[in-house]
Amino acid sequence: MSRTILDVTDLRKDYSQRRGLISMLAGRQRVIPAVDGVSFYLRENETVGLVGESGCGKTTIGRTVLRLTDPSSGRIVFDGRDITRLSRAELRPLRREMQMIFQDLDAGLNPKMRVHAILREALTVYERPSDAEIARRIRELLEQVNLKGSKLANFPSQLSGGEKRRVGIARVLAVRPRLIVADEPTSALDVSIQAQVVNLLRDLQKHLGLTYLFISHDLPVVELVSQKVAVMYLGRIVEMGLAESIAHQPLHPYTRILWSSLADKRSTEVNLYARSGATAARGTWGVFDFEQPVSGCRFAPRCPLYQDKGRPAVCTDPASEPPLRDVGKGHVVACHFA
Amino acid sequence: MDAPLLAIENLRTYFYSRARRAFIRSVDGVSLHVAPGETLGIVGESGSGKSVTALSAAGLVSAAPGVIGGRIELRSRQARRNLLDGLERYVRVKERDGRITAVEKDDRGWRRRAETLMEGVRGKEIAMIFQNPRSALNPYSTIGAQLVETIRLHTSVKGEGEARERAIHWLERVRIDSPRLRFDNFPFGMSGGMCQRAMIAMALSAEPSLLIADEPTTGLDATIQSRIVDLLAQLKIETGITTLLISHDISVIQRLADRIAVMYGGTVVETGRAAEVLAPQAQVRHPYTAALLASVPTPETIRRKSYLQAIEGEVLDTIELPRGCRFYGRCNRVTEAIRENCAGLEPPLGEVAPGHKVRCWLYPASGKA
Repeated sequence: MSRTILDVTDLRKDYSQRRGLISMLAGRQRVIPAVDGVSFYLRENETVGLVGESGCGKTTIGRTVLRLTDPSSGRIVFDGRDITRLSRAELRPLRREMQMIFQDLDAGLNPKMRVHAILREALTVYERPSDAEIARRIRELLEQVNLKGSKLANFPSQLSGGEKRRVGIARVLAVRPRLIVADEPTSALDVSIQAQVVNLLRDLQKHLGLTYLFISHDLPVVELVSQKVAVMYLGRIVEMGLAESIAHQPLHPYTRILWSSLADKRSTEVNLYARSGATAARGTWGVFDFEQPVSGCRFAPRCPLYQDKGRPAVCTDPASEPPLRDVGKGHVVACHFA
Repeated sequence: MDAPLLAIENLRTYFYSRARRAFIRSVDGVSLHVAPGETLGIVGESGSGKSVTALSAAGLVSAAPGVIGGRIELRSRQARRNLLDGLERYVRVKERDGRITAVEKDDRGWRRRAETLMEGVRGKEIAMIFQNPRSALNPYSTIGAQLVETIRLHTSVKGEGEARERAIHWLERVRIDSPRLRFDNFPFGMSGGMCQRAMIAMALSAEPSLLIADEPTTGLDATIQSRIVDLLAQLKIETGITTLLISHDISVIQRLADRIAVMYGGTVVETGRAAEVLAPQAQVRHPYTAALLASVPTPETIRRKSYLQAIEGEVLDTIELPRGCRFYGRCNRVTEAIRENCAGLEPPLGEVAPGHKVRCWLYPASGKA
């Protein structure tokens, strides 16, 4: 079995919400726990998918494990080394080993630099290669991401979405990373281009032995590329396991809803559950709310199982937020009834 | 078949790109029709012209030069007219070698005429819902006030109290919880899904003949998306409203549309009954439609962990049109027998089966058009 490259334990990231001057002076700061005690690990050359609705903390996790954002508490171990409290200077040599692909296609592409200069800059951040070596590496990068040499003279604004994504990936590959956090790498692209990028990322993983933390809300893509999938809800992982078990034998009601919503959209018949459930679940389908303190299970207010079981007290008992339980084969779930 | 409620013929809408110093043929000869009570789904990638087709139909294209010509025939109970009637005389297009060199448009004359034609149509006969509901709603006014305004403007209900009751009724119909409370909410206090529901309520409250839904689920979360699709499916049954649905998400189209039109590079490349065009075992299919369907992971690709069938190349930009088929450069089904045609001559949209048309040289029926 390959070794663990990233090990995250009880990671927390609180954001304090800025409010009016008076409440600030009165010391009434509202704290939003964007990531609320998350643990997971990544093995070398493996892909872990991170799914959940917008605002559930996926991106915050991605940024925090790379120390682009500082965690509030918890422990991040990269390749056997605790990086939770490393200073910027200490982090610098590690940065080249862990990189991020941002959702925004333009992120990291200086609009005033030509593609050639962008790649050259990336190649010379950590090393001082000769010009011949730079030329060789740029050719290699273009080949790796399947980009035409003629694009080197272009500015980012002259590139299509797919090309921008490829340049972004080439730029990341230039420093030869081992771990890549890919934050919604396909969501800004057209369907036909999405497929190209998904294939490319998988190819690169195979050839370069990369490890991915793949953040996405596109469930079929996540299922396709990932070995393991973690499902997040309101800053917590509520279920994690092998991609196929998460997709086909989900245990947590939220995971079930996520995957069934996909099937619902595809089915050609009007969903009966939606019609009858419209009354039961009405109003609870809004986006979750960090400001509303939940006691007990944070999914209970939206949970169909909670309704079906006649609102059991254990679900809303403040003393018992369901912990992640191991149900075998590395599958963990946080639900009293799973 | 019923006479279509909306018939678009040879619609052309162009834009000028200052960065590229060239004209973009965003919609380039599109013909579509929507029968009363029917949902027509338009699917395609960004830049295919699907949204611009819809915006043109609603008379909402503002960038220059905009709509150039064609017919947009609306035949509802209240209005029967060609929304582009007599507008050709304000436009002259010069073209050389598949490239537009100049468009002369008397914008003022066009606008005056177009606004007369649109009177009592936009908002009333043709209502629209957009991709980003929050930006389509007025942030300074409550949901209720906006609904009341729409109702009093577009329907026979003119009294304040009566309009209020009607508004609450519509909020209920789009399954907004506690509509009487929500009535006084501002858009910023509501989630994206809730705003989209309010948007749908507003569009339908005008009792339009045609609803144009432009990417109604894009940008919403997965679970919310499926709720909105559910809602649209239910409203379709309850109200029987004629709908022009635009989406890049084939699964949404599959769920809601009776017929579909696949667009590529500003033209319709395939159209037919949704069940027929999207059937997994369909024999006749435009290569682009086939490729679009194959580029999303299916249970089969996931199980085998196989590669996705990507469409090579980039989405066509419609500045310099190829002489032949617009999809030729990316097509993987060109055979030697038809290559010459594909490269040199744009295929017509030919009928391959009753009601099923494909723009491709692979299908012999295409010849007769």
